Amino acid sequence: MKKLLEFKDVNFYYQTKKEEIHALSDLNFSVDELEFASIVGPSGCGKTTILSLIAGLLPVSSGSIILGGEKVGKENHQQIGYMFQRDHLFEWRTIWKNITLGIELKKQNNKEEKFELARELLKKYDLYGFQNRKPRELSGGMRQRVALIRTLVLNPMLLLLDEPFSALDFQTRISVCDDVFNIIKSEKKTAILVTHDISEAITMSDKLIILSSRPATVKHIEILNHNGETPLARREDQNFGALFDFVWKKLTNETEKT
Amino acid sequence: MKPKKLKLPKCAPFSKAHERYLRKLRNDKIFVLFFQILILVAVIGLWELLAQTKVIDPFFMSSPSRIFNMLSSLFASGTIWEHIGITLMETLLGFAISTIGGTLIAVILWWSEKLRRILEPYIIVLNSLPKIALGPIIILWVGSGMGAIIIMCTLICIVMTTITMLNAFVTCDNDKIQLMKSMKANKIQIFFKLILPNAMNEFISILKINVGLAWVGTIMGEYISSSAGLGYLIVYGSQIFRIDLVMASTVLLCLLAAIMYIIVSLIEKWHNR
Repeated sequence: MKKLLEFKDVNFYYQTKKEEIHALSDLNFSVDELEFASIVGPSGCGKTTILSLIAGLLPVSSGSIILGGEKVGKENHQQIGYMFQRDHLFEWRTIWKNITLGIELKKQNNKEEKFELARELLKKYDLYGFQNRKPRELSGGMRQRVALIRTLVLNPMLLLLDEPFSALDFQTRISVCDDVFNIIKSEKKTAILVTHDISEAITMSDKLIILSSRPATVKHIEILNHNGETPLARREDQNFGALFDFVWKKLTNETEKT
Repeated sequence: MKPKKLKLPKCAPFSKAHERYLRKLRNDKIFVLFFQILILVAVIGLWELLAQTKVIDPFFMSSPSRIFNMLSSLFASGTIWEHIGITLMETLLGFAISTIGGTLIAVILWWSEKLRRILEPYIIVLNSLPKIALGPIIILWVGSGMGAIIIMCTLICIVMTTITMLNAFVTCDNDKIQLMKSMKANKIQIFFKLILPNAMNEFISILKINVGLAWVGTIMGEYISSSAGLGYLIVYGSQIFRIDLVMASTVLLCLLAAIMYIIVSLIEKWHNR
């Protein structure tokens, strides 16, 4: 499979008044097209920073990030979909207006095509009847689906998921996890998930990237083969427990170091 | 193309328990309204009774009937309309200039972080300053009359408006801004699609605060320099010992302020619909 994203010796420093924090150190990894990659690591190791660098919201200190054959920089032309810990739906807008926000922002001629795609996605994911409602009228799971559709209507090359399920209760989380995974796979998208939840990372990913403590570097990459199972089914897999223990130990070692 | 609006079925009350709940809500509302009216009637009644029985001196304390008579004569002669018109115009102009001006200053300060940092100490000092201290200077600069009163009213409201709106702009959730940036939104789009609508609750709050402050500013201005207006009538009435005139003007002020507040509340209801 063709590489979609590549990190080459990426370093990143945060500047503060008191010190210079080395957040990422010679980071090297890649994500293939249509792959679902997860990044796990100790708290504060710089996982969200990695997503901000990919989205071009922060500049790398050294090294380079190649996305779709182009170097990521300040003038990033590649379309990226970003999902945050909370859905960040705009409460004053209807569901339809939230979903089409990205289309409104663009100066392009094919807006009607995008609106049509938005309508199709709403129908496909059982939200068509809610298009004129306000976000406060929707459940947590439905809100996350709306947030995902909001990014998908822009047809992004890559989806960045920054702990998008962490604000949900456990039961909703498991079902939304399944929903989001199925939507991403059926829309044939490449995604990178940042999470603290090891089981979420194992069950959703094709590739698991384990980071060290700060300054973060790639400690281990695990390729997972799930044979098209959904995250919920993967929890029943006989290797799930062993894999969970393996990742847990790696992370515990890192946490102890810090 | 916009999708069609959903029509929700009209089905309340859903059950006997729901009907009881709705009845309780209605009864609570009536209970509160009843006591609100009762307090007003009791105060007016007691005041009138005490004045009629000479327990209090109506010359100094006036009475509801004397205030009513004064209002009747003022409206019958038609002179009151000029005073109401002048005070209302000064208040509305001060209110509008300070609300729009204060919000525009907040937009400029949000846009430029450096300018915000440079001007921060001046804004704090201006906010702490009792604006009435500037009264004589304003009269010296622009002369006495309507101009000075509108400036006074504007000064009282504008600093608070700027501080409240700026605070609302800068405390917008950073993740939401990052979301807009990830959608390639420029700064103007971020402002109009996110920052401004996100600050609408604070804008409504400042409208409510400014309703009160604008009346304070206008009446204060009229106390210092005016030849007409409700504030002028209050000062004039107290100077010639016509407490009925002072009270009647105050009642009119209360009514006008209440009407303005109700209009702002209706705007709030429309916004939250």
